[in-house]
Amino acid sequence: MRCDQASEMMSARLDARLDGTHMALLEEHLATCNACLAQWRRMQALDGLLASAPMVRAPLRLRALVLARLERRERTRRAIIGSTTLVLGTVTLALLALAPAAFNLLSATGIAPALISGGPETLVQLLALLGAIGRTLLVLAERLAVPLALLSLCGLATAAALNSLWIGAVRRLSAAR
Amino acid sequence: MTDETEEIRMAQAGDQSAFGHLVTAYQTPVYNLAYRMLGNAAEAEEAAQEAFLRAYTSLRSYDPQRPFRSWLLSITSHYCIDRLRRRRLTWLSLDDEESVEPKRLASDCPDPETVVAQKEREARIQQLLATLSPTDRATVTLRYWYDCSYEEIAETLHLTVSAVKSRLHRARCALAETVEGEMNYAL
Repeated sequence: MRCDQASEMMSARLDARLDGTHMALLEEHLATCNACLAQWRRMQALDGLLASAPMVRAPLRLRALVLARLERRERTRRAIIGSTTLVLGTVTLALLALAPAAFNLLSATGIAPALISGGPETLVQLLALLGAIGRTLLVLAERLAVPLALLSLCGLATAAALNSLWIGAVRRLSAAR
Repeated sequence: MTDETEEIRMAQAGDQSAFGHLVTAYQTPVYNLAYRMLGNAAEAEEAAQEAFLRAYTSLRSYDPQRPFRSWLLSITSHYCIDRLRRRRLTWLSLDDEESVEPKRLASDCPDPETVVAQKEREARIQQLLATLSPTDRATVTLRYWYDCSYEEIAETLHLTVSAVKSRLHRARCALAETVEGEMNYAL
């Protein structure tokens, strides 16, 4: 038997994974190889050292800390859902408030009656008009890309700031309770 | 249905109190694994908390056919392995060890000499473990402190059984080289 094979068998023996035949082979090798015998004794010493080390007990506060963190996370989640709902609600209300005004504008300019009374031709013309508006907007966007990006960033920053204020307010209210 | 299965089901439904019972039942195995992996009490406490939070978040994906302990230890060991890989310095100094001494489950013996001997042995074990790679460290810890079979270690660490066998052998050879003295064990 080679020494590297004997070394693997030593590990298997420590894990009680060596059958009788291989155990006998290992012992036979150890009886004739001083280097492997020395390694086996070192491995046994190591095994004894590790096996004698007890399980380390968890601190008593661990459960309370875990549950407190879970509770905090749950509060934050509720605050985020609350603020998102608030923002969506506000946007919906704004759209609903603007809808009659938009319809009045379309009526005043004659677009709404034309849409209602006109046939497919009106629809085609309207689509052509929308296409023209779209192209104009694209040209404008090319020119105004940088200012628009800045404006969007400002909008995002404002939304984020409002969101943080809302989350902070909810946290303070929860903590006060 | 066992109490634990029921608690797991309730925790999956969002019952934090049921999850609290699971934390109580498994806090020592989880904490001990984190301590053996990371080498100090403060980090182990933080890691154990994080492992439980991750377990709570992933509870819906838990397969009840699998032992809960094995699933939980898998989350803990992977978290600790990631943490160790992020860490530049893995060596635990004796001073650090003494500053945050954890409690042992075995004897609460007040004998000062025994306490000193236990502390020295503990420090030595942690120094030995710190010389191993994170995955080898997890393999050795699961083998010695949890009495896991090769198959259980393989499942916990997402390795093959032969990889577990060779990692254990390699780790033992490396550790045995550094172990001095204590040659009184008979063949």
